[in-house]
Amino acid sequence: MKGKALLGIGAVAALVLSGCALNGGESSNEGESTSGPVTLTFQSLAYQDSTVAAVKDIVDTWNSDNPDIQIKLTQGTWDNVHDQLVTQFQGGTAPDIIHDESSDIMGFAEQGYLADIGKYLSADVKSAVSKDVWDTVTTADGKVIAAPTLLQTYVVFANTDAFTTAGVEVPSGKELSWDDFQGVAKQLTANGKFGVGWGLKQPTAAVMNTALGFDGTFFDTKDDGSATIHVGDNELAVPERIHAMAYDDKSLDPVSLTQSGTDVLPNFLGGKYAMYVGGNFLAQQITESAPTGFKWTVLPPLAGSAGATQAANPQTMSVSAQSKAPAQAAKFIDYFSSAENQAKLAQGDWLIPASKPARDAVAAETKSTPVWTPILASGEDLAGAPFQKAKNYPQWKDQFATPALQQYLANSISLDDLKKQLTDGWSSIG
Amino acid sequence: MTQTLAPPSPPRPTVRKVAEPPARRTRTFTRPLQYLALLGYMVFLGFPLLFLLSTSLKTPRELRSTDSSFLPEKLNWDNFGNAVEKANLAQAAGNSLYVAALTTVIVTVISLPAAYALARFRTKLRGVATVWILLSQVFPFILIVIPVFLVLKQVGLVNNPLGLVLVYTVWCLPFALWMLRGYVAAIPVDLEEAGAIDGAGRLRVLRSIVLPLLAPGLVATSLFTFISSWNEFFFALVLIQDPGLQTLPLTLARFFGAEGQVQLGQLAAASLLATIPSLVFFLIIQRRLTSGLMSGAVKG
Amino acid sequence: MTAVAAPARRRRRRGDGRDAWLLVLPALVPVVLVSVYPLAQGILLGFTDARAGLNQAVHVNGVDNYTRLLGNELFWSSFRIGLIWAFGVTILQFLASLGLALLLNLNLRLRWLARTLALVPWAMPPVVIAIMWRMMLNPTYGPVNDAMRTLGLPGDINWLGDFSTALPAVIVVGVWAGMPQTTVTLLAGLQNVSPELHEAAAIDGAGAWQRFWHVTMPALRPVAVAITSLDLIWNFNSFALVFVLTSGGPGGETMLPALFAYNEAFKYGNFGYAAAMGNVMVIVIAAFLFVYLRGQARSRES
Repeated sequence: MKGKALLGIGAVAALVLSGCALNGGESSNEGESTSGPVTLTFQSLAYQDSTVAAVKDIVDTWNSDNPDIQIKLTQGTWDNVHDQLVTQFQGGTAPDIIHDESSDIMGFAEQGYLADIGKYLSADVKSAVSKDVWDTVTTADGKVIAAPTLLQTYVVFANTDAFTTAGVEVPSGKELSWDDFQGVAKQLTANGKFGVGWGLKQPTAAVMNTALGFDGTFFDTKDDGSATIHVGDNELAVPERIHAMAYDDKSLDPVSLTQSGTDVLPNFLGGKYAMYVGGNFLAQQITESAPTGFKWTVLPPLAGSAGATQAANPQTMSVSAQSKAPAQAAKFIDYFSSAENQAKLAQGDWLIPASKPARDAVAAETKSTPVWTPILASGEDLAGAPFQKAKNYPQWKDQFATPALQQYLANSISLDDLKKQLTDGWSSIG
Repeated sequence: MTQTLAPPSPPRPTVRKVAEPPARRTRTFTRPLQYLALLGYMVFLGFPLLFLLSTSLKTPRELRSTDSSFLPEKLNWDNFGNAVEKANLAQAAGNSLYVAALTTVIVTVISLPAAYALARFRTKLRGVATVWILLSQVFPFILIVIPVFLVLKQVGLVNNPLGLVLVYTVWCLPFALWMLRGYVAAIPVDLEEAGAIDGAGRLRVLRSIVLPLLAPGLVATSLFTFISSWNEFFFALVLIQDPGLQTLPLTLARFFGAEGQVQLGQLAAASLLATIPSLVFFLIIQRRLTSGLMSGAVKG
Repeated sequence: MTAVAAPARRRRRRGDGRDAWLLVLPALVPVVLVSVYPLAQGILLGFTDARAGLNQAVHVNGVDNYTRLLGNELFWSSFRIGLIWAFGVTILQFLASLGLALLLNLNLRLRWLARTLALVPWAMPPVVIAIMWRMMLNPTYGPVNDAMRTLGLPGDINWLGDFSTALPAVIVVGVWAGMPQTTVTLLAGLQNVSPELHEAAAIDGAGAWQRFWHVTMPALRPVAVAITSLDLIWNFNSFALVFVLTSGGPGGETMLPALFAYNEAFKYGNFGYAAAMGNVMVIVIAAFLFVYLRGQARSRES
């Protein structure tokens, strides 16, 4: 009896208060900037030792040069950055300066959580980055919600000794076509060793990015952020080829497709796979953990029917709309985006700077490391991709694209099923 | 609330020593089978622990090689040092300790009088409390965590260890009440009556008669509360965002989730270190816990 | 105990109500603030369109969330997975724990070791259990695959990453993690089974199996019903273990309802919709318990 009464009282109280609780959020501070000394928090996602050190270095230099704008560095992880930002924004505890990637932040922009920093960035920073890449951080109504920093591409790492042993020539040249890649992989497969290991546990990003090489655009976006999906032969070319290599040619270890890139790496270093596909940042881990005498290189960028184009999905630096000092925060981002700093960060992570002067700086500083040449080359052909503008992309990716691609790559559904699940999934959230 | 509340069971507070095996005639035949089964259980339960220990003692090179043996080549304690240093383990352990200790104190202080009332007084409260204890088990966290998040946000306790303490207090309370009520009920009322007749005041009776008898049960309850808060993950995941405020389970989960190269040895070492406090406390209280679970169920 | 206490209580009855309230009050305040009130709010939230966003207005939208849920195949598939997981773990846990409890109830050597081992998972943080088993089940360096290879079986299975093995593998970990509570409870129950009855049955010529079935089981029944009910609830609502093991993957194959609702709220920011999922979960689990407990009560009567 009493229990019911209590619940009843609670329910009434809740009814009265629920409105307050939900609307009690901080109001937007955009536009009104405080002056005087401020301390701003910057949540960095850098995780490789070399980059963590580089970020810390940049922040320290800034702090000693700018006593009025102190930056407090905190550490987040790529793994759960999205969930963390949702709770941080909702709880009013978001950092002032937010590190993320462009495909992840459009939804936050839509919800009003990110400040427009276009007006604060310097002309130098603006002109250093191509329009294609700026497009990935600009909302449909023209707000610049982040500064693009580093770019990742998918590259093919090769164990050159394995090529020598198998008597196969290491591909060179400006690009490596998917057909040639497939052919080489077949030649390198023998005696329980595979031509390729590819950690595709999270397949969506890889497929979306490389599909552009076949003109696979997936979405048509409209100005209001709504989008329609189109899954045709171009879009499916990459998964189809991976599938063929795994199950027809048997030159790609299907087990690796269910693992993360990091999990697959030991097998590449151990000689089980002659080639290893992954983000270029993995070069850092290879240099760190390769056994002595392990010889490796990076093959030319993978090219489809439309060339070696991949989607640009840059890492980004944004300012929270809840920040008390957006102008000052943007000023730090401006500094952070300078060619010198970007070149430093890029080398720590083996990533490609979005800024052209920074790319040139990296090229000049890494002359003695030839592996950098194909990595930087793969960055020349980066294009904007529509999926980054589709606001429900993150949810579609989690709930439909990833499961469907995983199932297809595990050989448990057909290509037609894949197509249907991708298409139907989008309409069910859209 | 998961994994803490014990089930009610028939009233038999003290656990008797092992019952004699009834089947003597067939012993020669069944004994080996029984040992075989016991061995199977021990491997299933114990092997993962041994593996974790062995991994924590291996060098990164041993862990990378694809054909290393189960046992480490030699005892290499570097992982423990590195884990503490690199993963901010000390800071996380400090946070966990703060939250767990404060929770334990608060839960003990507020559950003791309540448990006494529930055990000794025949009021409607008892029914309500029992219903609430059981209900609190049924509701999924997700239903509670969103509004809890919103409530704590209003009072500025999101991303604040004190918010976590508040949530853990309420979360651990059902179990603490359940156990303590059982311990109180196991103390014969006659003792209190005798004290009262001798002219001692109510408070003095409680302090000099009930409390000493209750002490072992109180310790068990407190330690269990500590373990539960020390191990908790879900609320911390939602309520704590600042990396400097993370508790141990959060740090460990992110350690594993980190995209970078996972340092297996360090992770195993960190996991073991994080388990030690709970494990030690648990082994101290396990006998009493068992009897507490049972006596908590005494209908009074 | 009841009999002893009763007369004393009757005498003191008058002031009890107020005293009891005073004593309970310190516990009641936080419970109401952080449990009852949020719970009520959570239930109500399930009837609104609350979602993430700066200065979002919240509207009561009646049963919209539920009609939407009806058409949400992913949610129902996660529900199906949740039921397979909850029943799978509960049943296997019960059987495994019953076996272990029977063994521990015998006078075997090394019983102390087995008993201690059986308790360890209880003290371990679920996150550590998950990390440990992720290592165990890793396709490259995990000892489970090593053992498979030694036995001449295929040794390159990605247990947690493969569609056909992920859910069973996660269930095994769930059984491991939850065995202590069940074992301890059943063991205590077993120790309450009267040895005299056993002897009487033995004298009557009943075999071991018959004695187990006709003497042990009936005595154990109340304990067994209670612990399986609780296990079922705990498992259905469990989160941390699977969150760290697989995060619901591969392809949602281990997406328990609690994880699904967590994602809906804290990934996609649909708080109202997520709360509605919570409400549905409560109703379903309550319905299962009702049916189960009523069934048990009936068969005990007959």
